[in-house]
Amino acid sequence: MRKKKKYVALFVLVIAFHSFFLLKPVFAQQVGQKEKTEMTQEVESQEKIIPGPQNITESTGIYVFIVWMWLAIFVLIYILILKIKEVDRLHEIRFISKKIK
Amino acid sequence: MNKRLRFWLDERSGYSVIFHFLKEKKIPQHRHSIWYYTGSAILLFFAIQVITGFLLVFYYNPTLEGANASVARIMTEVPLGWIIRSVHSWSASFMIAFVFVHLLSIWITKAYRKPRELTWMSGVFLLFVSLAFGFTGYLLPWDDLSLSATKVGTDIPRSIPIVGIWVTKLLRGGEDVTGDTLTRFFGFHVSILPLFLLAILAVHVYLIQKQGMSIPLEAERKDEKMKELPFWPNFVFREMVVWLVLTGILFSVAVFFPPSLDKAADLMAPAPEGIRPEWYFLFLFQMLKIFPAKILFVNGDTLAVLLILLGIVAFFFLPLIDNKPAERKGKIITVIAYLFIVFALAMTVWSLL
Repeated sequence: MRKKKKYVALFVLVIAFHSFFLLKPVFAQQVGQKEKTEMTQEVESQEKIIPGPQNITESTGIYVFIVWMWLAIFVLIYILILKIKEVDRLHEIRFISKKIK
Repeated sequence: MNKRLRFWLDERSGYSVIFHFLKEKKIPQHRHSIWYYTGSAILLFFAIQVITGFLLVFYYNPTLEGANASVARIMTEVPLGWIIRSVHSWSASFMIAFVFVHLLSIWITKAYRKPRELTWMSGVFLLFVSLAFGFTGYLLPWDDLSLSATKVGTDIPRSIPIVGIWVTKLLRGGEDVTGDTLTRFFGFHVSILPLFLLAILAVHVYLIQKQGMSIPLEAERKDEKMKELPFWPNFVFREMVVWLVLTGILFSVAVFFPPSLDKAADLMAPAPEGIRPEWYFLFLFQMLKIFPAKILFVNGDTLAVLLILLGIVAFFFLPLIDNKPAERKGKIITVIAYLFIVFALAMTVWSLL
């Protein structure tokens, strides 16, 4: 079960990041010198680039991700707090039993 | 299969010794324990820096023509590129903030006292390497502000007598900030500094494991028996809570406040108004700004730079200077720590006004 979860997590990570690598089959070195795309040239002529989501899909995706991330964090923290209580209790029991001996 | 593989690996590498050590490791519990978490927070941000740095290097082009355009491309064309850059930039700030907090907490609690002097010194080295990361990284987007700030920053060593001009030339790769400086800074940022950092970090972590965590000075003097917590799993679970919260804050800040990018720097253009280094250099920047041009017969800049260097040397050798932490001298050094915090904050705020 745990193994399965690990593979699912790995799969989600790969999916999340794969698009980052698959933009174009162009070497990064060539980009600045020769193969400037229209969009980059347009961007260069601008005064300042204010970054942000590029379209409505990305924008929605980002906000959904932020909400999901915080929910996941709260759930994980709750589980960790329970775990901490448990391991502290076990440690205390061991500590007391050592003292009695 | 898993067990057999682990046994095979352990027989050859002996890695189980490390796990055994971590299982036996104990963390003292007292009212200053909260500061223990700052160390692992720094490691967390460093790991995020490494991952996002790797991703950015795929698209960054460290040439005069390509640097600004490639950053613009990362921010506008690469899917989620702007977030990766924002996380990289913000985690650098978070990391340096935590390095400052970590060192100041050690200074105030006097955790550097015998036998942890070398741990402190390696930590101060790590602070300088982190600041060097910030300084070299600031130029890489190659916009007007970063170029001017780097010009000002690399000009400061010039005031040091004898070696000053040589240091400035070494940093710039010539007389002025040019494309050579950019290549040089990129090299420092992605290869030389990471190697330095990893080497010093290894020494630092080894020393922490060897000496163990320090306990409060009063408790040590009274020979108090301190409550202890096993490192694994009790302390690690607590650290995980801190990591989760910090990761959440970092991603949220990175999404809502991403750093912008100005147009490509023009080497011939005059310096823009409001040149300012990153926030962690602001107090030094302001200090240099308010220093008089001449004090008696000495150049004001030279005196200011020498004073800063003297402060850095004193900070590095602090455990040796503060060799009697429980006595009057130790108390004065603690007061100096608080005064330094007030001074740095006041100078930073003044510089922002």
